[in-house]
Amino acid sequence: MAALLGISAKLTNRISTAWLNFAVLFLILLPLVIGVGLIVKSLPLLKEAPIGTMLSSSDWSPQQGHFGFFAFIMGSVWVTLLSFVLSAPVCLLAAIYLTEYSPGWLTQTMYFVIDVLAGIPSVVYGVWGVLVVVPLLADYVAPALGLSTTGYCLLSGGIVLAIMAVPYMLNMLMEVLRSVPIELKEASLSLGATYWETIKWIVLRKGLTGIIAALSLGISKALGETIAVLMVVGNVAKVPASVFDAAYPLPALIANNYGDMMSVPLYDSALMFAALILFVIILLFNSITNFFLYRIKEV
Amino acid sequence: MRTKSLLSLLLIGSFAAGLVSCGSNKGKNVTISGAFALYPLGVKWTEQYKTKTPDLRFDVSAGGAGKGLTDVLAGAADIAMFSRQLTPAEKEKGIWVFAVAKDAVLPTFSLNNPAAGLIRKKGLTKDQLKEIYLSGKNNITWGALLDTAYNSPVVVYTRSDAAGAADTWADYFGGKQENIKGTGIYGDPGLAEAVGKDANGVGFNNVAYVYDVTTGKKRPGIDVIPIDQNDNRQIDPGEDFYENADSILQAISDGRYPSPPARDLYFITKGKPTDPAIIGFLKWVLTDGQQYVKQAGYVPLTDEVIKAQLDKLN
Repeated sequence: MAALLGISAKLTNRISTAWLNFAVLFLILLPLVIGVGLIVKSLPLLKEAPIGTMLSSSDWSPQQGHFGFFAFIMGSVWVTLLSFVLSAPVCLLAAIYLTEYSPGWLTQTMYFVIDVLAGIPSVVYGVWGVLVVVPLLADYVAPALGLSTTGYCLLSGGIVLAIMAVPYMLNMLMEVLRSVPIELKEASLSLGATYWETIKWIVLRKGLTGIIAALSLGISKALGETIAVLMVVGNVAKVPASVFDAAYPLPALIANNYGDMMSVPLYDSALMFAALILFVIILLFNSITNFFLYRIKEV
Repeated sequence: MRTKSLLSLLLIGSFAAGLVSCGSNKGKNVTISGAFALYPLGVKWTEQYKTKTPDLRFDVSAGGAGKGLTDVLAGAADIAMFSRQLTPAEKEKGIWVFAVAKDAVLPTFSLNNPAAGLIRKKGLTKDQLKEIYLSGKNNITWGALLDTAYNSPVVVYTRSDAAGAADTWADYFGGKQENIKGTGIYGDPGLAEAVGKDANGVGFNNVAYVYDVTTGKKRPGIDVIPIDQNDNRQIDPGEDFYENADSILQAISDGRYPSPPARDLYFITKGKPTDPAIIGFLKWVLTDGQQYVKQAGYVPLTDEVIKAQLDKLN
């Protein structure tokens, strides 16, 4: 094509390099642009109320001018932690079994299952949560523990999120464990280590950075998931006291109110500020994991 | 190379054709955006009106009341559909508000409630309802409310998404949506489902959702809490109009059902409408268009209200 148009190979090369640089630059700038946009849109609220009180107060009554985000932040943190606690151990153990022990056909089937799970739209997970998880908790689990709950609670949100995070985490964990060189395992086994010892001391240690990356991907996914959580979590702007209490994560706050309240200036600004908080949490979280990964690589 | 030039020729050709077809169509486009609550009626009206004025084209979309108002203020839409009370900040923006139909929010309870018969017979007073929905107490028992032995506490469900229905129901007690303390469920159907499943659950729904508009019967699983308006702890014949869609729509229309929780639904324009096409449409909605209101499950406006709206247009 280039020869046909009479452009020299050198020029083509230069143009394509420029395009590649532009593409990378664009992607690097993207978070910055999003962050700046959110800050600009939150300014009307930030001028109105001190940021410290907004982050530490849980009094949410926008029509009276009280904007407390603490309950929403805690809602997000708890539902994410819960989903992590529920899904991470299962994913890690399943990944070890599927890469080290299971017959080939089972691993292949699992890949298919993962693809299916990853492809299901999140609203379907939400509906499933309402139809199965919510009544299960309300009618069986909570009464068995001597508690009462509506079923629309933190635990429902955690369970639905955990299941949604599984395909992403499991897929990446399996790739990580498979990429550990066979020679290392052979060396370990030849030195007399048992199979399980080899997994513990060689495979998991060698794959540590990858494992952390996979788990943090699962957490990021859980932090940002909106519709499925919103449908089961109860959406009460109060700091939850137990896993059977309703919670209200930040993405749900934005999704519930954006369309209807965007014509009220301070409300609109408050929702943008909620988005900014979420953005900062994700930024902080990724910085911390990156720092750990860096430290591990150095050792 | 040849296929490529052929392809580009085709592309340019179709683009030009598109341009020409756009130019030749002198029809005007009217964009309507806003509340989900008014969307079905908005679609019905535009469909009917289009048959009379074939050169008008309508683009109706639902994205929430605030989205509609923002679109109208930004000039992205000609008319906004609005389903809640305007906030003071919104009122200051130089908009014109036209009531176009009425709707009502009804308190609901679960058919699984063991005290269902007693609820239908005695109803609940406004003060009791206020206590249940706004106080946030979770130890109000059915026994205390209805003077019976059934001592399970009432469980309140509300809408999680910003909704005109929740705002209107809270307005009955002088509050806003954020004052209703209860488990937040997404959407009208979700709320009805959650209330139906929980024997002690109470919630609220739009008339068009509580009753099936085609059959006029109540939806399965839920029933309406009758409001004991004269506080005599029984539902008198004058307070008993919840039998079917027709009876409740009639009661809302003649004011036997209080307002709020009955509410007006609005069309909003930026400034006084000047475009004859839009004025024509609004006038039609307020006159001939009112005949479609009832079959869509809403309540037609009274003659005085319609006259007041038409006066605004002249």
